[in-house]
Amino acid sequence: MSVFLSLFKKEFRTSFLSPIAYVVMFFFWVLSGGNFIWLLQQMTSGKSLMFATQGIFGGMVLTFAVPFVVPLITMRLFAEERKLGTLEALLTTSVRVPELVLAKFAGALVFYAVLWLPVLVYLFTLVRLCPQEVVGFPDGGAIWSAFVGVFLIGALYIAVGLCMSAMTSNQIVAAIASFALLFGSTLVLTFMASSSQSSSVQVLGQYYSSYVHMLDFSRGILDSRIIVMYLCNSAWFLFVTTRLIEAKRV
Amino acid sequence: MIKVYGVTKKYPARTAVDDISFEVKRGEIVGFLGPNGAGKTTTMRMLAGYLPVDAGQIEIAGYDVTLHPQEVRRRIGYLPESCPLYPEMRVDEYLRFRAELKGVKSAARKAKVSEVKERCGLEDVGKRIIGQLSKGYRQRVGLADSLVHDPDLLILDEPTVGLDPFQIRQVRELITQLAERHTVLLSTHILQEVEAICERILIIKNGRIVASDTEENLHRMLHACSIIEMEIMADREEVVARVGTMDGMNVRNANELADGWLWLEIEADSPALRVDLFNLVVSQGWVLRELSEQQHSLEDTFVKITSDKGEA
Repeated sequence: MSVFLSLFKKEFRTSFLSPIAYVVMFFFWVLSGGNFIWLLQQMTSGKSLMFATQGIFGGMVLTFAVPFVVPLITMRLFAEERKLGTLEALLTTSVRVPELVLAKFAGALVFYAVLWLPVLVYLFTLVRLCPQEVVGFPDGGAIWSAFVGVFLIGALYIAVGLCMSAMTSNQIVAAIASFALLFGSTLVLTFMASSSQSSSVQVLGQYYSSYVHMLDFSRGILDSRIIVMYLCNSAWFLFVTTRLIEAKRV
Repeated sequence: MIKVYGVTKKYPARTAVDDISFEVKRGEIVGFLGPNGAGKTTTMRMLAGYLPVDAGQIEIAGYDVTLHPQEVRRRIGYLPESCPLYPEMRVDEYLRFRAELKGVKSAARKAKVSEVKERCGLEDVGKRIIGQLSKGYRQRVGLADSLVHDPDLLILDEPTVGLDPFQIRQVRELITQLAERHTVLLSTHILQEVEAICERILIIKNGRIVASDTEENLHRMLHACSIIEMEIMADREEVVARVGTMDGMNVRNANELADGWLWLEIEADSPALRVDLFNLVVSQGWVLRELSEQQHSLEDTFVKITSDKGEA
């Protein structure tokens, strides 16, 4: 346990030492800020506050920005260790591979959570601005389930990014592979979900599109099937990462 | 301390290590030599438990590397080739982190870290960022890291590569000091290093151990006859004829030096024949100013082992 904690602490600290971290924060915060401004404009033109939680969490900007920033967070994790040779130094101490994978996963997840911190400020602003007589806002349940959704989607994406990073010693390759996988699948699955051609295609899209899931989560719908799907898939990608690190040593 | 039985490692395209066996006893300093690509690093990685063996068995301090990797790792300090470090961390921070990973108890951690810093001459750079240190200091940080959990066995893969002569001497002194408390296996291709610090030499070529002995034994094994050099004041023809008739001796070279002295290179069955040469000189009334046995350098021996013998 203490080994896991020191690995985790190191990962968390290092994620704030690289310049990429600040580029990612800048990019993500500009987008989420822009999304908030767009939401405020919508509301000045008469949109209901009921729509606010959904607008903040389920908006197109964030749903499509996350698959873009997660590869930037995860590309470094194993690819850099391979390139520097520090993976060899790590794996010849008492560190076990699953411990290392989980520590990197947890470190990236906490950094991802930090990215979402400004959203708390937006929510707080809305709550403060909200007139007394409005019913249905703030909806605590919807906000909680939206955060659960943000966490689950982030976990899966980070697990995918970690897996891609474990395959190569080139950060660019890791980033592009995970970007292609995450962005491509989100795009295709979201189109499938809104397709009216075939109902089977539509159902499949609705099962897997994180855009569709985020709309549900931000309305306060916690579907246990979807939660289990995210947890299982994340676990599966973490397992594959572990096997990759164990197998691919040179 | 180390027992290696019939270990083989295959990569997709080639066999890196082919059925090698050797032993290293507690307290020894063993030099691991070989040309580039001979399988030194692969062997060391297998010893450290980083690469799995394809066949054979490695035992370190009585534990099998494959079956008890954690027990083995606790007992070895491994410095990988090219000394990998995190460039963004500070020296103190890095050593503390490594001590944590190696299971040094938190109560002892601070003392351990400052002890290895002192042993490796890093007291002044504790607050510096590793990426900004010179190569020599980075190498010392790597060494300090391999020592921090007080291992029984040190496996050092080219610990002095890329250092200036002064730093090499420092690292060498450090390794010699370490040998009082630890068993050391180090690989290098700098032969003077092995001559200076190692008690025993293992030579590997094309994935096979081709020699394993002390330096003197290797020389003796390879150079059946000894070469005697002599400088005398005498007539060239006469000397060559006289020496040629003596038992077990053969003149290889005889040159007149610029100052009129005669320089001879003689192949002799044993260095003890120098006495016979001296007696000859005295009986003939020649003047002698030098009589010595030529020392073989490790370089000659190494080249001979890795070229002729390996192909035989």
